[in-house]
Amino acid sequence: MEKIKKVLFPFLIPVIVLAAWIYATQLGKVPSSLLPGVSSVGEAFKRQIENGQLIQDLGVSLGRVVKGYAISIILGILLGALMGMSKSMWHLFHGVTTTIRQIPMMAWIPMIILWCGIKELSKVVIIVIAAFFPIMTNTLGGISSTPKEYIEVAKLYKLSRWKTFTKVYLPHAIPQIFVGLKLGLGTSWMAVVAAELIASVSGIGYRLSDARNMMRSDVMIVCMIVIGLVGALMDKIITLLFGVLTPWEKKGKAV
Amino acid sequence: MADTILKIEHLNKTFEVDKEKIDILKDINLEIKAGEFITIVGHSGCGKSTLLKIIGGLVEYTDGTVERNGKKVTEPGTDCGMVFQEHRLLPWLKIKDNVAFGLDGVPQDEREKLVKEHINLVHLDGFENVYPAQLSGGMSQRAAIARGLVSNPSILLLDEPFGALDALTRIQMQREIQRIWKEKKTTMIMVTHDIDEAIYLGKRIVVMSARPGEIKTILNVDSAAKNRGSADFAYYKKKIYDHFFEDAEDAPEYII
Ligand SMILES: Nc1ncnc2c1ncn2[C@@H]1O[C@H](COP(=O)(O)OP(=O)(O)O)[C@@H](O)[C@H]1O
Ligand SMILES: [Mg+2]
Repeated sequence: MEKIKKVLFPFLIPVIVLAAWIYATQLGKVPSSLLPGVSSVGEAFKRQIENGQLIQDLGVSLGRVVKGYAISIILGILLGALMGMSKSMWHLFHGVTTTIRQIPMMAWIPMIILWCGIKELSKVVIIVIAAFFPIMTNTLGGISSTPKEYIEVAKLYKLSRWKTFTKVYLPHAIPQIFVGLKLGLGTSWMAVVAAELIASVSGIGYRLSDARNMMRSDVMIVCMIVIGLVGALMDKIITLLFGVLTPWEKKGKAV
Repeated sequence: MADTILKIEHLNKTFEVDKEKIDILKDINLEIKAGEFITIVGHSGCGKSTLLKIIGGLVEYTDGTVERNGKKVTEPGTDCGMVFQEHRLLPWLKIKDNVAFGLDGVPQDEREKLVKEHINLVHLDGFENVYPAQLSGGMSQRAAIARGLVSNPSILLLDEPFGALDALTRIQMQREIQRIWKEKKTTMIMVTHDIDEAIYLGKRIVVMSARPGEIKTILNVDSAAKNRGSADFAYYKKKIYDHFFEDAEDAPEYII
């Protein structure tokens, strides 16, 4: 029974939605200009794959995400760890980061475009801003909640500050850092699509806005579904990576 | 005296809480010889853990002198290991790496040798590659003892190490620590709130008074008292209870 739940339940809602979609379009209750039929969306998807456009769009968008996300991982973990381990760093940065974090990612886009143009740089900068904060705040949370008992053990064995970081603070923070990495990847993906929607000549977000201009609702739906699925896939990859990197998390009391 | 390993003279300790100084330890004087097993009993909050941490160099003191191996204590050192009530093994390190935690900077092959030797000492062979979450409470404390002894310190401090264990495991671990003490000849200083444990293990028992922590008396336990069923054992037990409740009106009659 558990197994059935695990395998079938995730598909239950998609199937219902699909059925409702087919029902609404087949019976002609909803005009195809508002909601194209499943088959025409399927054909649009096939076309997009065959002419290589979808892959190319995704490649462009993902390339931007990889660059921006990598930068925000480095900056986010670095600053989060510094703030978590040093009181003076915390006082120096906490007020500023808390304030900047309140500005929605969309509100950055106009100024970023003004400063960085509409080429690659602006997309990467927007992703960095979007992904940096969840990574930084979660790293900070994980580092600063390290039990003082463990830190005392490190002190007892006279570990250097760096060794204390790598052997005590960092492993303790890893589960929460991964929460930040997940959130950050999600926001990176959303940020790149948003940025491409607003100003771009390439990428999956651009394809969506281009389809809107051409009144191609089938292509728009293809783009939306692909954006959702790719985001979910990236989320899954991070979850798997977390499992590999924290072998101690799974082991329960066995002996 | 050549074989004095720990010397505490006129040690006072205050903690500042809300800008107010609170006396925790008052005029502690204690001299311990190499190879002794000392147990410390006292009410909870009387400063036992603080005293051990001062000896271990984890807590600063300003008033009085504390000398470990003839040197004034200013910081932790490899000559002094420590075991806490919670095992404090790092959940992300395998048992062998937890045991090796106290060997930072020791060359690889020597480190491996020491780790193997001490895992064997505490009878955890075969558990080198498991994580702490997979061990029972007693086994975790064994690993913690191995970590505390791995650098072959001359002193091992034990802060209520068996306090969280069930009664049977506790008695088993008391035997184990005695065996290890005899084998390694390490000077051991153990804080406990279990009076039976204090009598069973201690060659001398330091009895502390409640706040501020002072040494009330130090009892020499002769070896005849080591049998838990003996009259001597009961005698020491009563003596310690009397010290604890000497101020109290209702002297407990349930002791023996
Ligand atoms: N870092 C600290 N700052 C302030 N008070 C402390 C600190 N550590 C311990 N104390 C206080 O000192 C007293 C003695 O603590 P402790 O040595 O842990 O007692 P015990 O181990 O005998 O139960 C307690 O009242 C405790 O609240
Ligand atoms: Mg204590």
